[in-house]
Amino acid sequence: MLLLALVILAGLSGCDPKEEPISGIDFDVTFKATYDGTQLEKNKDYMHGGYPLLFVRYRMYLSDITLLKADGGEVKISEAEYLDFTPDSGASDMSVTPKITFKNVPEGMYNGIRVGFGVNPVNNAKQPSDFADGTPLNIETDYWLGWKSYIFMVLDGKADPDVDGIKNLAFSYHCGSDPVYKIFTFNEHIHVEQGHQGIGIEFDIRKLFTNADGSLYDIPINPASSNSVNDTRVANEFMSKLANATTIKQ
Amino acid sequence: MKKNWIPGNIGLVVGIMLAIWLIAACDKMKTPEDDPGDLIGIAYAPQPYTIIKPDDFPPVPVPASNPMTVEGVQLGRKLFYDPILSTDSTMSCSSCHLSQGSFTDHKAVSIGIDGISGRRSSMSLLNVAYVNNGLFWDGRSPNLEAQALMPVEDVIELHNTWPNVISKLKVHPSYPALFRKAFGITDRDSITKELAAKAMAQFERILISSGNSKFDEYQRGNVDIFDEEELDGKLMFFDEGASVNLPDGQCFHCHGGLTLTGNQYFNNGLDSVGALSEFKDKGRYEVTNNPNDQGKFRSPTLRNIAMSAPYMHDGRFQTLLEAVGQYGDNGFGVSNEDIFIGQMGFPIGNGKYSGLSTYHKKAITKFLETLTDPDFVNNPDIQNPF
Repeated sequence: MLLLALVILAGLSGCDPKEEPISGIDFDVTFKATYDGTQLEKNKDYMHGGYPLLFVRYRMYLSDITLLKADGGEVKISEAEYLDFTPDSGASDMSVTPKITFKNVPEGMYNGIRVGFGVNPVNNAKQPSDFADGTPLNIETDYWLGWKSYIFMVLDGKADPDVDGIKNLAFSYHCGSDPVYKIFTFNEHIHVEQGHQGIGIEFDIRKLFTNADGSLYDIPINPASSNSVNDTRVANEFMSKLANATTIKQ
Repeated sequence: MKKNWIPGNIGLVVGIMLAIWLIAACDKMKTPEDDPGDLIGIAYAPQPYTIIKPDDFPPVPVPASNPMTVEGVQLGRKLFYDPILSTDSTMSCSSCHLSQGSFTDHKAVSIGIDGISGRRSSMSLLNVAYVNNGLFWDGRSPNLEAQALMPVEDVIELHNTWPNVISKLKVHPSYPALFRKAFGITDRDSITKELAAKAMAQFERILISSGNSKFDEYQRGNVDIFDEEELDGKLMFFDEGASVNLPDGQCFHCHGGLTLTGNQYFNNGLDSVGALSEFKDKGRYEVTNNPNDQGKFRSPTLRNIAMSAPYMHDGRFQTLLEAVGQYGDNGFGVSNEDIFIGQMGFPIGNGKYSGLSTYHKKAITKFLETLTDPDFVNNPDIQNPF
């Protein structure tokens, strides 16, 4: 009889799921590129101090996007995302605002969000062929064979520093490789609840061109990030400025 | 009454012959609609097709709506090479996409069945499965299935109509069975242009590099395979040469990744125009209507580029060295010229660049020749099956 009871008990415990299924809701995050607070527009003149500049490309990778609970708990909602704000597919030069819906996010009030800017070192040690078709890290055109690294952020444009009406100064900041990967935490109350709108994450490019002391970045002196994997100074500067350039919008 | 003037059994014989002729004629006049289920007797057991690709290439994208099968690829290959697609049965897809030209036709611009020249050069189909941002030079087709429909009805290309093609395929001695085997249709009346396009798209998805080019060998670690000039070219192509006093070629920005294409659209500095509207060929603008897209074209793959002369969307350059040489001169400063067009060479201050010397251009050309992949063009699985 005891044996029978034990067998039944063992059978029942074997049927028990080891983990509770994750229950949660869809959580929308809308990403937006801005210049001085207004939505970025390709090929539009913006003033950089005394001279105009324009942007033609802005795209970036994000990694390990994680919601932070008050009790120290964490909910990672994405391992990797690719954002192209300036795709060459539409009649409009207005940048696009990619909206990503993260599934099964536990409801609750969170105290902040942590974002990796670029591709985390584990994934950056791999290459596009290691990832499934259609996933962000499968995009091989933003993988730099020479560096064996993804290009974390692309920011390209033209400027007219001598104000002669011709934008003949091209600038290109292509930031990549593990040393310039950044992780920043943004302490904002984030409400994840059914019927509650998601959040926005905005990147103000003007702040990428603003130095810590408030002066403007000298584009003619450094019109491009270095192509040497051993010289990440300019790339590091731009990636670091993402901390200030990023805003969480409720 | 006839018996009165046809003697003996001759009348009977003629009568029988007439009857036989009538039956045969009636059978010939039968339309496929008269024979529903006429293909059911043919086995439908499609086998999954595994696309062979180099290990370091990304997985080949295949849409869920058109899974790869051995039978689908076989049908697509036949259709691709069969002049049945053109009005006068003189040209097929392969007429402008020759396997030995890495699926280009060696003409500046392609010429259709009526001898009329098109506007643009035929694009290489090598690794076309990876193109994910529009096909053709201007990106007007979103995917291979949609693209395959277009040349048939283009009046300059095959100058046919799909209804005409389909009617020929339905009465063809072998195609109905091939469509049955590939897609499981039960009767020949179910042959459609969409199925034909799906089959051709499946065939085009197997046009993948062999991974046996000199460049691939180098990538796999056989670094001694490059001579000095090729190595210099490679370093400039990928902007890796600063430490050995080589200028940046900036090539990889538009021709990146292992497939060496960017899937994006660029004004690559070919023409000097006063206003963007002066571009003779408006390129990407014809699709997007964005004025800043005038004169922009999709960057093609550079794999097998040495096999696909002449170069550019209009075939203006006969040699690879001419094409590279044009880039090395840093363009014309047209407002929508890509920023990297003006950044070739050594930085000389104030965001200006020196351009490339004759040696540098030649070295980049030599490097581009290392992308040649004879195993691809000689692959028996992609040759003309007729």
